[in-house]
Amino acid sequence: MLRGRPESTVKVMPEPKVLYLPLRSERFRFSETVVREGQQVSGGDVLARDPGNYGLPLLAPRAGTVRLKAASNHIVLENVARLDERVSLAQKEMSHIEQQMGVGGIKRYKLLSLGAWQFFYDAFTGALPDPHGTPQAIIVSTLSLEPFVTRGDVLLHKRLLNFTRGLEHLQSLLEYQPIYLAMPDIKSEFANLIRNQIRGYAWAKMLEIPLTYPYDHFAILARRLDLRRADGPVWAVRTEGVLAVDRALTLTRPCTVRIVSVGGIGVHSPAHLKVMPGYPIDKITDEYVFEPAARIINGGILTGETLTPETLGIDVECRGITVLPELKEREFLGFIRPGWDRSSYAECFLSALRKRFNERFTTGLRGELRPCVSCSFCEEVCPAGIMPSLIHKHLYANQLEEAEQARVDLCVECGLCSFVCPSKIDLRKQLIEAKDLIEKEKEELRQEQLRQEEARKQSEEKTK
Amino acid sequence: MKWLLKVIDAVRPNFEEGGKLRLFNPVFGALEHFFFAPSTTTIGAPHVRDAMDLKRFMSMVILAVVPSVLAAFYFFGLRLVAVIIVSYAAGLTVEALFAMIRKEGINEGFFVTGILFPLILPPNLPLWMVALGVAFGVFMGKELFGGTGRNLFNPALVSRCFLALAYPKAMSASWVAPSHELAGRLLSWVGPSNVDALTSATPLSLAKQGQMTAVSHMFLGSVSGSAGETSAVLIMLGGLFLLFTRVASWRTVVSILGSFVVLTAALVVGHKVTYPMPGVFAPVMWHLFAGGLLFGAFFMATDPVTSPSTNAGKWFYGIIIGSTTVLIRNFTGYVEGVTFAILLGNIVAPILDEIIIGLRIRRLKREG
Repeated sequence: MLRGRPESTVKVMPEPKVLYLPLRSERFRFSETVVREGQQVSGGDVLARDPGNYGLPLLAPRAGTVRLKAASNHIVLENVARLDERVSLAQKEMSHIEQQMGVGGIKRYKLLSLGAWQFFYDAFTGALPDPHGTPQAIIVSTLSLEPFVTRGDVLLHKRLLNFTRGLEHLQSLLEYQPIYLAMPDIKSEFANLIRNQIRGYAWAKMLEIPLTYPYDHFAILARRLDLRRADGPVWAVRTEGVLAVDRALTLTRPCTVRIVSVGGIGVHSPAHLKVMPGYPIDKITDEYVFEPAARIINGGILTGETLTPETLGIDVECRGITVLPELKEREFLGFIRPGWDRSSYAECFLSALRKRFNERFTTGLRGELRPCVSCSFCEEVCPAGIMPSLIHKHLYANQLEEAEQARVDLCVECGLCSFVCPSKIDLRKQLIEAKDLIEKEKEELRQEQLRQEEARKQSEEKTK
Repeated sequence: MKWLLKVIDAVRPNFEEGGKLRLFNPVFGALEHFFFAPSTTTIGAPHVRDAMDLKRFMSMVILAVVPSVLAAFYFFGLRLVAVIIVSYAAGLTVEALFAMIRKEGINEGFFVTGILFPLILPPNLPLWMVALGVAFGVFMGKELFGGTGRNLFNPALVSRCFLALAYPKAMSASWVAPSHELAGRLLSWVGPSNVDALTSATPLSLAKQGQMTAVSHMFLGSVSGSAGETSAVLIMLGGLFLLFTRVASWRTVVSILGSFVVLTAALVVGHKVTYPMPGVFAPVMWHLFAGGLLFGAFFMATDPVTSPSTNAGKWFYGIIIGSTTVLIRNFTGYVEGVTFAILLGNIVAPILDEIIIGLRIRRLKREG
């Protein structure tokens, strides 16, 4: 249990006057702007698209006047007003698509254009899956186990009907493929409610997962379910995604509202907030952050990105804002203190005799960088079953091939290895870099093969 | 303690790049970080870190040997204070020299070596031999391999092995009979010059002549032997503490002691070795508490750097150490074999790791 865990009530934030919509988020780059400076838009209109992700749209959450140059890397909406959202799918366009792609096609089109598709992940890569593909299975996770991010139970509260309706919609996109529903306790009252709702749906299977971070990670879930990458993509979606599917397909309304948690040690009353993308971050921090020096993180404390002052608004993928106090004081003789107030993976502090307690975390590294001593803590905590310390040694010796053989690609970037390392090695970063490097080399190899193929064909043609 | 931080901040420029004393930067850094936790913060995810660092890791080992150190003071006198000081001074000099050459920080690993080494030496060894031994061990056993984390052998055992081979006579003539008084030798100094410092054979060498020391004495520690290895009960106390805090791996300890007990029992049952003791249980317990086995199993073999990093590897590593110790003790000219057994285990550790990791990678290959 951590101090700063957001409460389960959802607070509605006051309507903003200006919205700052960031053009980049964790997965998306909305580089294709489709609105003009000064243009009046209404809620649900497309502001920009991400050409790298199937033209995923950035929707205007509210009506307002577009300002493109007011802040770099943002689209700013001024004079924001809450008018009725317009369904941006024109009737004519719809019937055209229906003729072209059938009922399934129109559903997928709606998901993409109404902003529900952004909640989908490819379980193995974490990227946005192809909306027109067919997955081998869909994993629905009601959990968000990383400390401080928006919790699934909060989202599900009083929305059970919408949730099951969303599941039905998801099923209608599939032929016979199963939907796996990951829950913390499949015997709980809550699970029984859902079970009653989905009784008779043979395609929905419940899966119990422990309430330990990061067992809700999609790649881990897919591996537990024995789904193989070679058998096709696996779509993965969290509670908010199912609710968005319901909204898009039942009501045909744009999904522009987010439940965002604001939590962490530096927040005085942690909560869940109902906001929209572009909501000014300083409005939230003004109200909730009391620490004079604090790091504001977009996401959880283990995988989130530090929010720089340049980012003015909540992005479309934001799942929580975590506030962490900066390290201020240097502790005198810290390493020989009994440690009643701090815990560690290896039970080397007096707090091991104590029940759960609220530890005050800061941004401190809490030690000096040292060579690896092979304590194998990282291997013990790794949920992917790889050996981070071994891969670290391979990378240290510049043996990328060995690192690849040790299956660095299975890493789910949960950050637990970096967290426990007593030598304070940033294993997560090194593993991610190695993964990228291997990916790049493979891509180059593929390109090279393509070029050779091309050249061979050309020479064959010439000889003919 | 603000004044100390102010002093440190004031003198820091001298040790930084361009300062007069920049060569001594590692020494300064070690001192600074001994007193004050570093001010570095995380960059990027994960934004928080575990409270454990290498300093804490190593201080847990030092904490765990405190009972054995106190026992050594009690049974063999205060000369051990001098031995520990010499060990630290000589070893730290080598460590600091290498840190300056490499321009790296001084590593905490040495603080463990420095306290463990005196505990595995005969109490009356001349101080210059202590200094020479530890300097040799740190240099050959650790620094030549690249420092802490990259060494193949346990530096303290390399030191002891070196002394045992270079000065066998001094090593076997420096045993001290333990004090049997109630106050022990907490206030007395027993050195080579003292007349009452009688050399006394260890239980293992007495056993070669057919004399068996009482198990109860070996359990409490009032027998002759290396300074810290005699009191079985206090070693187990500190050792179990290490296991509970997860600094030492229970797999290593269990497999060493388990294989040792099983093999010894098998030899006694099969009448391959005979002891003037009845039954099987008594000689097995006697051997378990004799010599450096417990100290080696709990404090030496569990060094994470020189033992295998895989769990399966640790089991085999322990079995190799445990059974080699039995074989050396019973079938060779040496009376004690723990040092050699663990060094042998250290040699085998990377090979074991290689095999286990190879198997694991083959299994991982089939994943997704």
